Amino acid sequence: MALAALAAGVGAALLAAGRVDEPYQTADAPLALLVGWTFVASGLVAWRQRPGNRLGPVMIFTGFAWFATFLTDAHAGWPFTLGTAIQSVYLVGFVYLVLSFPTGRLRGRADMALIAGAIALVTVVEWTSLLFSESHAVLCDRCPPNVLLVERNDGLASGLLQLQRITGVALALLTVVLLVRRWRAATAAERRSVAPVLWAGSATVVVLAVSIANDVVGEPLGQLGKWALYCVFASVPIAVLVVLLQRRLARGAVAGLVVELGERADGTDLRDALARALGDPSLDVAYWFPSGDRYVDRDGQRIELPGPGTGRTATVVERDGQPIAALVHDSALAENAELVRSVCAAAALTLENERLQAALRARLAELQASRARLVEATETERRRIERDLHDGTQQRLVSLAMSLGLAESKLADDPGAAAPLVREARETLALALAELRELSQGIYPSLLTERGLGAALDDLCRRAALPATLDASLPVRLPQQVEAAAYFVTSEALANAAKHSHATEVRIRARLERGVLLVEIADDGIGGAGTGSGTGLRGLADRVEALGGRLTLSSPPGRGTTIRAEIPCA
Amino acid sequence: MRVVVADDAVILREGLARLLTEAGLEIAGLAGDADELVLLVERERPDVAIVDIRMPPTHTDEGLRAAKEIRARAPATGILVLSQHVRASYALELLSEGSEGVGYLLKERVSDLRELASSIERVAQGGSVLDPLVVEQLVGRSRAGDDPLEHLTAREREVLSLMAEGRSNKAIATRLFVTEHTVEKHVKSIFATLRLPLSPDDHRRVLAVVTYLDAR
Repeated sequence: MALAALAAGVGAALLAAGRVDEPYQTADAPLALLVGWTFVASGLVAWRQRPGNRLGPVMIFTGFAWFATFLTDAHAGWPFTLGTAIQSVYLVGFVYLVLSFPTGRLRGRADMALIAGAIALVTVVEWTSLLFSESHAVLCDRCPPNVLLVERNDGLASGLLQLQRITGVALALLTVVLLVRRWRAATAAERRSVAPVLWAGSATVVVLAVSIANDVVGEPLGQLGKWALYCVFASVPIAVLVVLLQRRLARGAVAGLVVELGERADGTDLRDALARALGDPSLDVAYWFPSGDRYVDRDGQRIELPGPGTGRTATVVERDGQPIAALVHDSALAENAELVRSVCAAAALTLENERLQAALRARLAELQASRARLVEATETERRRIERDLHDGTQQRLVSLAMSLGLAESKLADDPGAAAPLVREARETLALALAELRELSQGIYPSLLTERGLGAALDDLCRRAALPATLDASLPVRLPQQVEAAAYFVTSEALANAAKHSHATEVRIRARLERGVLLVEIADDGIGGAGTGSGTGLRGLADRVEALGGRLTLSSPPGRGTTIRAEIPCA
Repeated sequence: MRVVVADDAVILREGLARLLTEAGLEIAGLAGDADELVLLVERERPDVAIVDIRMPPTHTDEGLRAAKEIRARAPATGILVLSQHVRASYALELLSEGSEGVGYLLKERVSDLRELASSIERVAQGGSVLDPLVVEQLVGRSRAGDDPLEHLTAREREVLSLMAEGRSNKAIATRLFVTEHTVEKHVKSIFATLRLPLSPDDHRRVLAVVTYLDAR
C-alpha cells in the first residue's frame, strides 16, 4: 500500500511536471504530494492500530483520491477527462473522516445527509456538467479535449459548475455547524480525544469554503491561498496521528500511575490519580462489598453502577476472578479500552486495599444502622408490652377490685347478691390470666428455656395457623441467644406465611452442621415476599446478624417463600 | 384424701393449701422445690401430689422430672402437674410414661374449686386429667391433607375432646345432658371412624385418644 502510494505520488509529480495549463510552481507539486502521502501514511498507521476502525481506510482512500486529481494535468484526453470526473471525490473522504472521528461511524441523520449530498455533488452533478463542457471554453485554456462531451452548452456547463461550487460552500458551512454542535455537546473526556482533529478539520473546511466562494465570485485565491489550503488539509491526518500518539502517551500515564501509587502517601486520593491517568475528571471509583452484594463508595455508602444510555460506563476490575472495584467513567473512554484495562491492572492491588477499607466502613455503617434498629425495636417492644399491660390486664384487675369491693359491701346485709359479683370477679380474673399468659409467651417463650429449640419449634408447629411439619435434628442445647433468634425467625416466618402466603403447608427444617445452626422455613404459597418493614424480617435479620449469622429470603413469585437462617453457635 | 402441694411461690402454695382444705382435703405437707417434694412424698405417701412445673433451681421443668421420680418411688401417689402455659408436649410426655393417676392442668384452673377438687379426685382414683385447652390445641391443630377428624360429627368431636380430657362416659353424659348409653354409642362410632381399638377402660383410653390426636 505504501509502495502504491509512493508510485501514485511519483505519477502525480510527473503529471504535475508536465502540466500545460499553468506555469510550473516550485512549491506547488511537492506540497501537494506531501498532502497525499500524509493521508495515506496516517491511514496506514491508523489501520494497523485499529483494524476494526474505518478511519484508516478512509484516510488511505482520501490520499489516493487526492493523487487522482493530478490526472487533470495529463496531456491525453481520456486521463484528463477521468481526472476531471473524480477531481473532487477526495473531499467526500475528507468530510467523512472529520465527521466520523473517532469512531469511524457516522452519527445521526444530519451526518448521513451531508455525506449523501457531497457524494451527489462530486459524482452526478460533476458528470452531468462534463457532458456539456467543452474543455477550452469552460475548463481551461490549453487542456486536452473532454472525451465525455455530448453536446457543447457553455451556459449550462458553467451554470452547473457554479451550482456545484455554491452547494459545496453550503455543505462546508453545514459541516462546520455540525462540528461546532458536536464540540459543544461533548464531555471533557470526549473533547480531549477529538480536539486536534476537530480543529484541523474545521479549519480546513473554513479555508475550503473561502476558496470555493472566491472561485464563485471569479477571484481565485491564488498561490498563497492554495498553500494555506494544502497546509490545513495536510494537518488533518497529522491531527489524527497526534490523537493516536496521545493515546500512546496516555498509556505512558499508566507507568506514571504505577509510580504514583507506589509512592502514595495516605493523603493521596486514589480516585484523583486514576482520573489523571485516564484523563477523565468525572471518574468515580465504586468498591465491591461482597457481604452486602453491592458496590459502595470510599465511605461505604451504596453506589449504583450506571446503566446503558447514561453516557457513563462502568469497567469492573477483577482480581483472581473476583470483582474488587468498578471504575465509573465517561463512555468516551470505552474507545480507549486498552488504556482503561492497563490502568485497572496497574491499580488492582491498591484498589483491593482501598476496597477492604471501604468494605470495613460499609460494614461499620451497617452495624450502626442495625444497632440503632435493635434499640428502636426494643423500645417499640417495651411500649407494646406497657400498652398491653395497661389496656388489658390492669383494666381487668381494676374491674376485679371493684367487683370484690362491691361483693364485700353486699355480704353483710344481702349475701345472695354477692354471689353473682364474685362469679363475675372470677370470670374477669380468668380473662386477665389468659391475657397475661399470651403476653408472657410473646415476650419470651418459656418452652425455649425449659426444653430448648427443638421442643419450642415443635410447639410453634402445633400452634401454627397453617399445617406445619418439623424436621429437626438438634441433639444438643445451643447457646440461648442462638435458640431465641432461631425461634423468633421461625415464629415470624410462620406468622407471615399464615398472613400473606396463601400457602397450604409449611415445612420447617432445623439442624446443626459444623457448628452452624441452619433453620429453614419453606411454604408452598404465592411467593413474592420482600423484607419490607411490615414483615418484621428486617429486625430478625438484625438479630441474626448480631450473632454473626445470616438471614436469607427466597421468594420467587408463584414458587413459595423460603426463609433461611444460618447462625454460628461457637 | 391426703395431698401434698409443691410450688416455689409461697403465696400460691399457701393459698392452694387453704383452698384445698376448704374443699375438704387433708394437706399432708408443702414443698418449695422438687427435691423437697420427692422427700415429702416418700415420707407421707399422699394420695395426690400437686406440682408446679416450674421450680428452682432452673425454673424450667423440675415439676415434670419430680413427677417421674415420684412415679418410680411412690407409684401409688397420683400426680397433678400445674402449668402456667398450655404445653401439649408436656402433657404427652407425662401421659406417655403411664397415664394412670396423672393430670396436667393450667394453673389458673385453681379458681374453679369444684372442678379442681374433681380433677384431684380423678387422679387419686388412677384416672387421667388433661386440661381442656391442651385438648383444644391437639384437636384444633391444623393438618395438611385428609383429616380423619373431619369424618366425625360435631357431637362426636365434642365427646372425643371430653374423652381426651380424661372424663368418664358418665361424666360426659352428665355434661352433655344425654344418657350414658348414648355416650357409649358415640364412643364406639368414634373409635370405629378413627380405626382405634376400643378400650373398655375409661382411664386407659385417654392415652390412646391423645396419642392418636398428636400423631395424626
